[in-house]
Parts: sequence; structure tokens; C-alpha cells
Amino acid sequence: MIPDGRTPVIVVTGFLGSGKTTLVNQLVRKESDSLVIVNEFGEVPVDHELIESSVEKAIALPNGCLCCHLRGDLEETLIGAAMRRRRGEIAGFDRVIVETSGLADPGPVAQTLYADQALARDFKLGPIVTVVDASDSGSRKVSGEIARAQIAAADVVVLSKVDRAADASNTESEVHDLNAGVRCIRASFGDVDPAALLQVKPGDHSFSHTPTHNSAIRSFALRFEQPVRRELLQQFISTLVDLRGPDLLRVKGFVPLESGMVAIQGVRHVFDRMRHAEGGEPALVFITNGVEKREVEALWQAMRRLGS
Amino acid sequence: MFLNMKLLAQHTLNGFGGMGEGMSMQLARDGRRVLWLAHESAPKNFTAVDVTDPRKPKVIVQTDLPHAQMRSNSLEVAGDLMAVAYQVTKFGLKPAGFELFDISVPEKPRSISTFDASGPHSRGCHQLWFVDGKTVHMACADPEQKPRNPKDDQVYRIIDVANPSKPVAVGRWHLPGTMDGDDAPPPKRLPAKFDAGFRAHNTNVYPERPDRCYLAYIDGGVMVLDISDRARPKMLSHWTNSPPYNGFNHTVLPLFGRGLLVVSDECVQDNGADWPKLVWVLDARDETHLVSVSTLPAPPVDVFKTKGGRFGAHNLHENPPVPGAWRSENVVLGTFFNAGVRAYDVTDPYSPREIAYFVPPAPEKSKTGQIQLNDVFVDDRGIVFTVDRGGGGLYALEMNV
Repeated sequence: MIPDGRTPVIVVTGFLGSGKTTLVNQLVRKESDSLVIVNEFGEVPVDHELIESSVEKAIALPNGCLCCHLRGDLEETLIGAAMRRRRGEIAGFDRVIVETSGLADPGPVAQTLYADQALARDFKLGPIVTVVDASDSGSRKVSGEIARAQIAAADVVVLSKVDRAADASNTESEVHDLNAGVRCIRASFGDVDPAALLQVKPGDHSFSHTPTHNSAIRSFALRFEQPVRRELLQQFISTLVDLRGPDLLRVKGFVPLESGMVAIQGVRHVFDRMRHAEGGEPALVFITNGVEKREVEALWQAMRRLGS
Repeated sequence: MFLNMKLLAQHTLNGFGGMGEGMSMQLARDGRRVLWLAHESAPKNFTAVDVTDPRKPKVIVQTDLPHAQMRSNSLEVAGDLMAVAYQVTKFGLKPAGFELFDISVPEKPRSISTFDASGPHSRGCHQLWFVDGKTVHMACADPEQKPRNPKDDQVYRIIDVANPSKPVAVGRWHLPGTMDGDDAPPPKRLPAKFDAGFRAHNTNVYPERPDRCYLAYIDGGVMVLDISDRARPKMLSHWTNSPPYNGFNHTVLPLFGRGLLVVSDECVQDNGADWPKLVWVLDARDETHLVSVSTLPAPPVDVFKTKGGRFGAHNLHENPPVPGAWRSENVVLGTFFNAGVRAYDVTDPYSPREIAYFVPPAPEKSKTGQIQLNDVFVDDRGIVFTVDRGGGGLYALEMNV
């Protein structure tokens, strides 16, 4: 077992007003050793004011949208936080919670953690938690593409405001249309069991066969019955990225190599380096924008034939 | 300060929380886990703590030394036997050597025997290794020898305790040139401000290689000894970093499956006066040719060096081959005085990584005004136990890596 001392970065995303800050407040209240990084959208840092119990630890990013303009700042903030922690200049923390702007695609945060080697020494991507307002589907439809990308990227979805929703099942169906295997947790006022969120690993996924429809989003699994060669897997991913990288909203899972199981994670054209991992079903989950399962399977089979 | 380590409990050991470098766990017959601890200095000899529930450590026995001009410093448990080192502050004092105890009833340790190493040129025993219940390997003076320099009194000694009531000396080794009568010339000493002596410190022997002693020799470097003939240990290899470094090699931890030795220095001066004191990774695939390949990343030097008290490497968790102890070939833990206890991933020996640390606040009675973590022991539940040299006593930590 290779030890992994990196600090997980949990990404909390969700559309404007979905209840992200309420959820983060609840998490911080129950799991105090968290560093909260709030991405604010607009000139008034409302969300920062609402992070009640972690003011001394919060590093507010004051400008605009995290995914569009602040990727560099997120790197700097995280690296700076690790340095300050090591020097004892700030309190210790066991996890980082990045609360994105409501208008942010969480993908770039994941990409930042995969792509930046300096960052990857101290941090790893934790679960992407998407908060979905079960009482108001209308606001999501206004900016449907962003809302769908947030749900598609999720490792776990929190259905918020279920106390106000006539029937949260409809929202859950909406979520599973976009991200078939994702776990949904129902919550009122952000009250959830932190372990249910924080201990989810990015590769965790239930392999539902529920077909997706209602949009271009596709969710499917590519299974691996036999161990594969590392070079072949790398070529497959590389080719897939070349062909359809922008449409790979999320790729995650475990693949058996001859040397053992490895975890695979990717967002669009950026993939984390392969890391040896324990357990997990030998399959990759794809959440795509219009990329069909048969296309991916055909590519994999073709490359296997060429590689054998 | 912490990373991937959480404080479960601290116990100041009834106000006698200045601890040495003896930490050993007994799996008692009634199922309890008892951690035996040696004190840094008089008046206390050793303390036993029930750590079955690491969140609620309980002192179950605490003993006194016979006088104040001595200390125990080191101890080891093997089954229901415990060996306790006795070192005196002046040559010729007694007791100097070690004492064996029956600890089958932890609340009532019963003395079985003592091994006397006192003499006009002896300060007794500083450190001992006792893991098989039959043999004590120790850094201890030999009254039959006279060191050319009084600082060089403690040599490597092998004592057969198969009959615990009658310990028998069966072997010894010292760095050639340090004793009267040696053919070799005396070794060149380090500058006076760093001259701590050419003498043995840790004397580790493992069942994987019962014919080898991994010996640290303070200012004399480290050695791999062939002890297949216990009466005549032979040096197979010798590695030293001083000069230009400032001496005091402390521990040699072999990672057998990796072909590595991890070697710690000890900081012995306050406010960074003897910095750098590091932990070195040696390639030992050829045990006759030791090659340094890296050092463990040091804590931030500008933060800790002049903060107060000692700063730098000291004890390592030594993968003791005994029931109840955690053993790892990939993770190395050590204490660094005011920089706390730290864990490193040495999976890549050329690029070790720090993966966890815990630096407690200074205890109330600290003379230096800082924490001074002195020793570390990890049990097979993954609980990290560490002790403070200056009064903080025992800390139980949970490590998550």
C-alpha cells in the first residue's frame, strides 16, 4: 500500500441559490478542521460573510468566476495554504472545501488539481458535491448547460430544500437522467451526515443501467474483464482525448493492469496520472456531452486489436 | 500544527512528564496494551501506561530511581520481561548497566536481576535493544576497558539473558583506536563544540538478519556488524557524515525488503547550534558499500531553528519485531524536538515525501518554552505514541495516510 498524505479538495458546486453555502456551513460546523475557499461571483462577497464558523480560516477569492478567471489564483491559494500550514502560520486542516460560484463549471477545478504537479504533491481531488434545489427546477432551466455540467460532474448530489419540494423524486430522476449512477442525498437546511459526503471517493460510482435521455448528456460504463497493458490504456485515453476531449465531462473508475488496479480520473482533456488503488469495480464511467457508448467501445476494441 | 495526525489524548504522567527514549508495548496476558516508558532524568525510573483505549491512557505504575545521579533513559519489553538501562552521571557510580524485570503483572514489576557494568571509566548503559527475550544488545561501558577519551566509554555489548536471573556478557565491539591498547590510532575528534564521543548509541538486531547489528556510533558514523560469532563481531561496512556534519549518529533503521538503511542524527544543542541534524536514506543493497541517496525533507528551518530548545532529528520508530508494534517498509516516523513528530513516505528513496506531522503546543512546565518531542512508537493499530522530553508526557495520535 502506497501511503497518500495529500489533502483532499472537496468541490461543492450547484446553481445559484441552490443551498451551497448552507451545506458548507453545516459541514464546517461538524468537521471543523476544514479550510474553506469561497469563490464569489459579483462584487459583494456574500458567501464569504455567510461562512460563519470558519472566518479565520477562510480565504476568500474576491474576483469573479472561479472557472473563468481564477484558476491561477486557486493554485496560488492552495499552495500558499499548504506552505502556511507547514510553517504554523495558519491552523492545520484535514480537507479543503472549495465552494464554487453558482455559475461555475466544476470541471476546471478538477483539471487544475490534475494538471499542476506542484499542487498535486500536497492536494488531491476529493468528491465533487453538487447541490441541486429540489424545490425549484425553473432556475436551472434558465442556464441549463451550466446546471447540467454541474450535475454531470458530481460524485454525489445533495438534493436541497426537500422540505419545500412537492416531490423530490422528480428532481432525483432529473439528476439520474444526466448522471445515472450518482448517489443522491436528500437534505433540509444543509443537514447531512458529513461522512456520507466527505468519504466518497472520486472513483466511487454505482453502475446503473438507467438510460439517459432528455439532453445530449450520456452516462455509461466501459468494463474491463481482463488486465490490460498500461501503454495500451494510455494510448486509448490519449486518442479519446484527441478525438472528443471537450465532450468528456467526467471519466472516472478503476482499470486492472497487469501490475494491479489503477484509478483513472479525467475531466475533459485533462487526466490525473494513473495511481495504484485498492478495490473498485473494474470499469470506467463516462459522463459525456453527446459521446455515445458505442463510439467509446468501438475505439477501445479497435485499439485492443491494434495493440495485440 | 498538524497534517494527517489527530491528537487522541495527552497524559502528563502525574507531573513527571519529562521522558527519555525508551518506549515499548506489552500485550498483557489479560488483553491490555501497556506502554512502558523510560524517563529522561531522576527522580522517576519508568512508568507503565494502559493505552488499551488510546483516548483514555491510564498510569498503572510509576517507579523511582535509587538516587538522582542516574537515569534510565532506555527500556525494552519482550513478552513479560523488561530490560531497563541505567546510566550514571559520574564515572564509578552504581547502578550502572541494566536491570531485568518480570512484568507479568504490570502493576507489580518484579526485579529479576541486574547486570553490573560499573567501573572507574564507566557511565553504564545509555541504550539497549531487547526484542527476542534472550539477548540484550546495548550501548554500555565495559569495566574491562579503558577509553582513551572518557567520552568514548560506551561500546556495543551483547549480553545473553536466556537465563534472566544470570545475565552473561558474550560479546563486544568498539571502534578501533578508542580504547587503551588498540593498535589503531585514535580517531580524529570533531571540533570541541560538537565532540560528543566515539561511542555506541542504538544497537538494532532483527530476526530477518540475526547475524547483523545495525549500529550507530555517535560521532563515529554508522556500521553494519557481522555478529554471527557473537564473541567476535566484525565490521562489514562503515558510513559517516561527520565531518563536515556535526556528528551524533543515533539510529540505524533497516528496511530489509527495500535494501535501505534509514539513519537519524540527534540534535543535542538548543537553538540550532548544531544544525543540520537530519535523517539520511542509504542504499544498502550491497551491505559492504553504503551509499547516501537522500535525506528526509527537513521541517521549515527558519521557523523552528531558533524558536527555542532543540530542533532536528532524533529517534525513529524502529519497526521493532515484537507483537503489538507497527512495521512499515514505506513509511518512516521520527521525532524532531520542537518540530514535533513527522511521518515520511520513502516509497521513492530518492525523493522522500513528508505525509504527516503533529507539533503540540509547548507544555506548561517546559523549560525551553517549546515542545521537545523525544521518541516515537507506533502500535499495530496505527496509533502513534510520542513523548516529550520537557514535561508534556505522553501524546497519543491517530495517523491518517
